[in-house]
Amino acid sequence: MTVHLSRRYGFSASHRLHSQKLSEEQNRLVYGKCNNPNGHGHNYEVELTVAGPVDPITGRMVDLVSLDRVAEEQILQPFRFRNLNEEVEVFRTAVPTTENLAGEVDRRLRAIWREVFPEGPVLEKVRIWETERNICEIHPTYE
Amino acid sequence: MIISKKVEFSASHICRSERLSDAENQRVYGAASNPLGHGHNYIVEVAIEGQPDPVTGMILDLKDLKEILEARVLSVYDHRLLNREVEPFSRSGGLVPTVENIAVDIWNRLVGVIDPTGRASLFSVRVHETAELFVEYRGEGA
Repeated sequence: MTVHLSRRYGFSASHRLHSQKLSEEQNRLVYGKCNNPNGHGHNYEVELTVAGPVDPITGRMVDLVSLDRVAEEQILQPFRFRNLNEEVEVFRTAVPTTENLAGEVDRRLRAIWREVFPEGPVLEKVRIWETERNICEIHPTYE
Repeated sequence: MIISKKVEFSASHICRSERLSDAENQRVYGAASNPLGHGHNYIVEVAIEGQPDPVTGMILDLKDLKEILEARVLSVYDHRLLNREVEPFSRSGGLVPTVENIAVDIWNRLVGVIDPTGRASLFSVRVHETAELFVEYRGEGA
């Protein structure tokens, strides 16, 4: 039987939404107050959903210790209390919107997923809350 | 169309498998393997799929659903030690009451009794063990 388990993590970080490919005026129009040159921050929440069968002995579908370690190493440590634009390589050029952040979390997890969980489960969904009202969801795809 | 109802129960459990050593239990379940047990306020979200009745505008009568959840889930699970008082966790060599197994067990208790008329059917059972952890089961591979 396949169950879907979701685990939620939090980190706080600052960012500024500003595209190098847009003029100052266009940036202000597109991003509004998120374009403030001094930046601002959020309490982000990340929800990882994994799917697979339940182990008949342990009653677990995923080793939560490993899942927590992966989240800590791949997401929380690199992002927690950071200025995303300055301190996370990809956001030196990409704009750290919730969409791009979800894409980056997905990319980081997929890069190491099979190594950590060679026999499953699969990473089914990543959801990121920037605020309670601004949520982005991505369904990882595997080649 | 899917309609969801949320109910809560509080229960204690011990996440330990008789088939694992003490060290393995500690590694797999961490603090949850404490043999004296611990508890949670569980939240159960039950999603029902169906089409609204053209007369009542309802997929199913939520009063009936409330009674079913009370009789089949809450009266069984609320304020119990799951390892000792709730099947399939209480029998010797029974399942470990992880949130995965709880979600599957609640599905098994509800599927088939949601709506005898067949208009509505159980779509998913979601069990939140904490604000950071929940499991959803949709009967896949049942």
